[in-house]
Amino acid sequence: MTEARFDEIIHPGTRLSIVSLLAAADWVEFAYIRDELGLSDSALSKQLSTLQEAGYVDLDRETRGQRRRMRALLTPEGRAAFRGHVAALRAIVAAADARETF
Amino acid sequence: MGEVSANEARAALVAVEQGRRSVVERIAVPAWYWWFVAAGWVALGAVADLGPAWATTVATVAFGALHSSVAPRVVHGRRGSAALSVRADVVGRPVAAAVLGGLVLLAGVTVAAAFALSADGCGHPATWAGVFVAVIVLLGGPMLLSRVRRAAQVAGAR
Repeated sequence: MTEARFDEIIHPGTRLSIVSLLAAADWVEFAYIRDELGLSDSALSKQLSTLQEAGYVDLDRETRGQRRRMRALLTPEGRAAFRGHVAALRAIVAAADARETF
Repeated sequence: MGEVSANEARAALVAVEQGRRSVVERIAVPAWYWWFVAAGWVALGAVADLGPAWATTVATVAFGALHSSVAPRVVHGRRGSAALSVRADVVGRPVAAAVLGGLVLLAGVTVAAAFALSADGCGHPATWAGVFVAVIVLLGGPMLLSRVRRAAQVAGAR
C-alpha cells in the first residue's frame, strides 16, 4: 500500500497536471503537454525544470533531421512521490467525509 | 498538509483524473492496421477463389509473416499517438490478446461464411466471405479499442 505523503513540489496546479499526465504514460512529448495544458513553451520549461531539479522528471532530447523533440518522463522517485501525494489527497478527502458523517 | 482543505484536495484529485483521462484517450491501434488486415483478408479470399491451391498457401503464409512483423509494434494500443506512450498498466486489459483472439475467431467466421455461401451457390464464396469479415474488422476494430478506453477510464476512476 502506498504511504500517503503530501508533496509540496508536485501539488501546485500546473505541476500536478503535468505529473498526472506523465504518471499515465511511459513518456510524453513536450509539445503535447504544452498544448494539452495550454501553456507557453517558457512556462512549461520552467515547471519541468523544477520537477527535474527535484529528481522527479527526466528530459530526453532527440534530434531527427531538422526536427528537435523533447520527451518528458517520470523517474521512479517522481512516480513514488506522485502516488504518495495522491494517497495524501485521498486521505484529506476521506477525513473530511468522515467528519461530515459523524 | 494541514493548510489544504478538503475542497482543494478534491479539486486536485479531479486534475489528477483529467491527466489520466487525457492519456487514456490516446489508447488506439492505428487506422492503417485495420485497413491492412481487411485488405489482406479480401486478397486471401480472392486468391483462394481464383488461384491454385499452392498460391493460397503461399499468400496465407506471406500475409501471416507480414502480420507477425507488423502487429507487435501497434496492436498493444499504447502508441495510438506519436506524442506519447501509454503505460501498460493504464491500458489495463491485454489489448493484443483481444485483437489477435478476435482475428482467430474471424478466421473461423470466414471459413463458415465461405462454406455457407458456397452451399448457396454463390460465385467466389471465399472472396465474399473475406469482404464480409473485412467489414467486421473495419467496424469492429475501432469499437473494440473504444471499449478498452472505457474500461481503462472506469479502472482509473476507482
